[in-house]
Amino acid sequence: MDMKRSYYDDVRLFSSGVTVFWFVALMAFLFFYPFVFTNYYVYMANYIAINIIVVVGLNLLVGYTGQISLGHAGFYAIGAYATITLMTVAHFPFLAALVCAGLIAAVFGFLLGLPALRLEGPYLAIATLGFGLTITTVIGRIEMLGGRQGLHAPDLVIMGHHLTSDRQFYYLAVTITVLLVLLARNITKTKVGRAFIAIRDAHIAAETMGVNLVLYKTMAFALSAFYAGVAGGLYAFVLRFIEPELFNLFLSVFFLTMAVAGGLGSVMGPIAGAIVLSFLDLQLRNILSIPYIGDWLRDLSASYFSLTGVSNIQFVIFGSILIAIMLFEPLGLYGLWIRMKKYWKPWPF
Amino acid sequence: MKNTLLAVLMGALLVLGFAPAGHAEVGVTDTEIHIGQWSPQTGPAAPWGAVARGTDAYFKWINANGGIHGRKLIHHYFDDAYNPAKTIAGVKQLQEQTGMFAWVSGVGTACGLAVKDYLMERQIPWVGPSAGSRHWVTPPQKHLFNVYPLYLGDAQLLTEYAVTEMDKKRIAVVYQEDDYGKQGLEGARHVLEQHGMELAAKVPVSISDTDMRPHTMKLRQAKADAVLVFVTPGHVARLLGTGKAMNYEPQWMSTTTCGDFPLMIAITKGLYEGVITASFGMAQPTGNVGGIEHINNPKNKLMAKYKTEVYDAYAADDERWGYTFTTGIGLAEPLVEAIRRAGRDLTREKLVAELEKMENFQGLMGRITYGPYDPDDPLCRIGQQEIFLQQCTADGGSKILTDWQKTEFIPMSE
Repeated sequence: MDMKRSYYDDVRLFSSGVTVFWFVALMAFLFFYPFVFTNYYVYMANYIAINIIVVVGLNLLVGYTGQISLGHAGFYAIGAYATITLMTVAHFPFLAALVCAGLIAAVFGFLLGLPALRLEGPYLAIATLGFGLTITTVIGRIEMLGGRQGLHAPDLVIMGHHLTSDRQFYYLAVTITVLLVLLARNITKTKVGRAFIAIRDAHIAAETMGVNLVLYKTMAFALSAFYAGVAGGLYAFVLRFIEPELFNLFLSVFFLTMAVAGGLGSVMGPIAGAIVLSFLDLQLRNILSIPYIGDWLRDLSASYFSLTGVSNIQFVIFGSILIAIMLFEPLGLYGLWIRMKKYWKPWPF
Repeated sequence: MKNTLLAVLMGALLVLGFAPAGHAEVGVTDTEIHIGQWSPQTGPAAPWGAVARGTDAYFKWINANGGIHGRKLIHHYFDDAYNPAKTIAGVKQLQEQTGMFAWVSGVGTACGLAVKDYLMERQIPWVGPSAGSRHWVTPPQKHLFNVYPLYLGDAQLLTEYAVTEMDKKRIAVVYQEDDYGKQGLEGARHVLEQHGMELAAKVPVSISDTDMRPHTMKLRQAKADAVLVFVTPGHVARLLGTGKAMNYEPQWMSTTTCGDFPLMIAITKGLYEGVITASFGMAQPTGNVGGIEHINNPKNKLMAKYKTEVYDAYAADDERWGYTFTTGIGLAEPLVEAIRRAGRDLTREKLVAELEKMENFQGLMGRITYGPYDPDDPLCRIGQQEIFLQQCTADGGSKILTDWQKTEFIPMSE
C-alpha cells in the first residue's frame, strides 16, 4: 500500500509510528484481555491463538510458496504426541519438548516436501491428504503413543510454575503466538521469503534466476510443519487428552479454509481468518439460542426439514459465510481490510 | 454493498458473542434446576445425538408432571460434533455464563475426558457419561458417577454363556483397535482363563476397514465356533454379510452397542437373526427368561410408559424410538432420583450424599449402586455392573436368554 523507497523500507518491522502505536495498543489489549473477559472467552482466545499459529505456518506454504497441504492435521498430531511423549518418557521440560516436537514435525514436513518437488496442484493435494490420514493410522497402532486409546497430558510446569487455569495458559499461548507471527512476518521479508514468492509466481523462472527449488520447497514444508507441530503441542494441553481420531481430515480442511478465507499471501490475512472462523466454529452452536432467529430456524426446520437435524443449520450458515467472503472478496478478509483502508484513506476530505 | 456485507457480518458476530446471558447461582433457583449435557448432533457421531434428545424429552415430561419439589429441570444441551475442543468451549460457557447445577450423560470418551478435570476441580456433579470407559472410575472421582456398564462385562458374560450354556470350544474376538475393543479382548480372555481355555483367534479391525474378507478368513482358519464382535454396527453388518457369502456362520455375539435389534435387522437385511448380544436393560429379564420383548411394543411397564408418555408426547416427529433415545432417559434416571431424594433444600453436597446412598436403584437399566467415596475403590462410583443376554428374533424382537448377571471389574492395565 505505502510507497516504499528502499529495501530497508520493505524489511522494516514497523513502517511508521502509527503502526508502532497500534502494535503497542494490541499488545496492551492482549495483556489485559483475561482480566476483562470471562474464563470462557479466555479459553476461546487460547483456541484461536493455537489456530493462528497453524494457519500462519500453513500460509507460508500455501500463500507464499504456492504449494497445497491437506495433511496439516498430521503435523498437528505429530506435535501433540511428540510434546506429551517427550515430557512423559524422556522427562523434557515443557518448552524444550514443545520446540523439539516442532522440529520433529519439521522433519516430517521436509520428508513430505520431497515428493512435492514432482507434484503439483491436485496431485500434491492428494499426496498430502494421504500423509494426513496415514499419520493418524500409524499413531493409532503404536502402543507407546497410547494407540487408539489416547494419551493423557502431564501437568504443565514452566520454570517451577504449574499452569492450571485458562488464564495462565493464555499468556503462554499468546506469547508463543506473537513470537511465531513476528518470525513468519520476518521470514517473508528475507531472502527465503522472496524465494518462496518467486516459486509461487513462476517456479521455472525462479529456478532460472538461481532459486534452489529443492531447498526452498522442502524448507517451506518443514517451516510450515514446524508451526503446526508447535501448535499441536499447545493443543494437547488445551484438551489434556488426545487420541488419533481428533486429527482427522476435517481438521486439515478447516486449517486450509481459515487460511484461504483470511486471505492468502499476507501475514494479517490468516490471522483474521483464524480469529473469525475459530470464533464461528465455537459459537455457531449457539445459533438456535439466539432470540427470534433461533426460533425462526427451528420453525423453518420443523416445516421443511428434519427437526432432529436442526443443528446442521450451523454448517449451512458457516458455509454461507465462507461463500459470501469468497464471492464478495476473493482476497479474503484481508482483502476487505485493504478495501476499507483505501476507502478511508482520503478521509476527512 | 461490500460495506453492508461487512456491517451484517460484524452485527452477526456481535449477536453470537453476547447472546446467551447468564443468571442464577450454581444452577438452582426457587423454580429451576439447570442441568447441562453435550452430545454430537452433527458430524459422524450424530446418531448418538439421540441420547441428549432422549434426556430432553424425559425432563420435559418430568416438568409437565410438576417438576421436582416445585422446581423445573432446565436442560441445556449443546452440539459438540464429537470434537473435544468444542465440548470444553460449551461446558465452560454454560457453566460460567448460565451456571449448571450438575451435568448428565455426555457422549464420547475423548469429549468427556477433556472436561473431566474442569468439572471435578470445581466439584460439579456429573452423572452417567455416555460411554463405557474405565477412565471414569480410574481413579474414581468424588463427583463423577458412572452409569453406563463397561464393555468388559459384555465380554465376560458372552464368553461365559458361549462356553457353559452353548458348549462352544473355540471362541474368537473381533475387536476395534480402541478402548471399546480392548475391553472386549480383556474380558473374554479373563473368562477363558478361568475355564483353562485360550482365545481361538483375535482379529483387529480398523475403523477404515471396509473389506471383511481377510477377517473372516482368519476366523474360519481358526475354526472359531463363537465370535465376539466388538466393533461398530456398520462393521458388524459387513462381517455378517461376508461370513454368509463365505459360508462361515458361527454363533455371532456382540455388545450393548450393537443391541438395537430392529436397527440391526434392517442394516443386515435379516442376517442378525440369532445373534446374541449383551443388554443393559430396557427390558426386564427377571421372571421373563425365554420371553420375547419388542422395543416397538414393550411389555416392560416402565418402557411402555416412557414410550407413550415421553416419546410420543415430547420427541420430534422424525425422532426414532430406539435404544439411543432410551439410553438418554436411562442415564438421567439416577440423577433425577437423587435430586428427588435430596428434597427441596437442594445442594450439590446433598446430591452427592444421596447418590452415594443409592442402592439397587432400578429404572430402565440394570440395578445401580454407589458407595461412600473411596479414592482407591472404583466400585464406589461404577454404578451398574449387571447386564443380561438377549437373542435377536427375525422381526427384531429380543428373546431374553439370561436373568441379570453381575460382572467383574478388571482394572486398566497401564
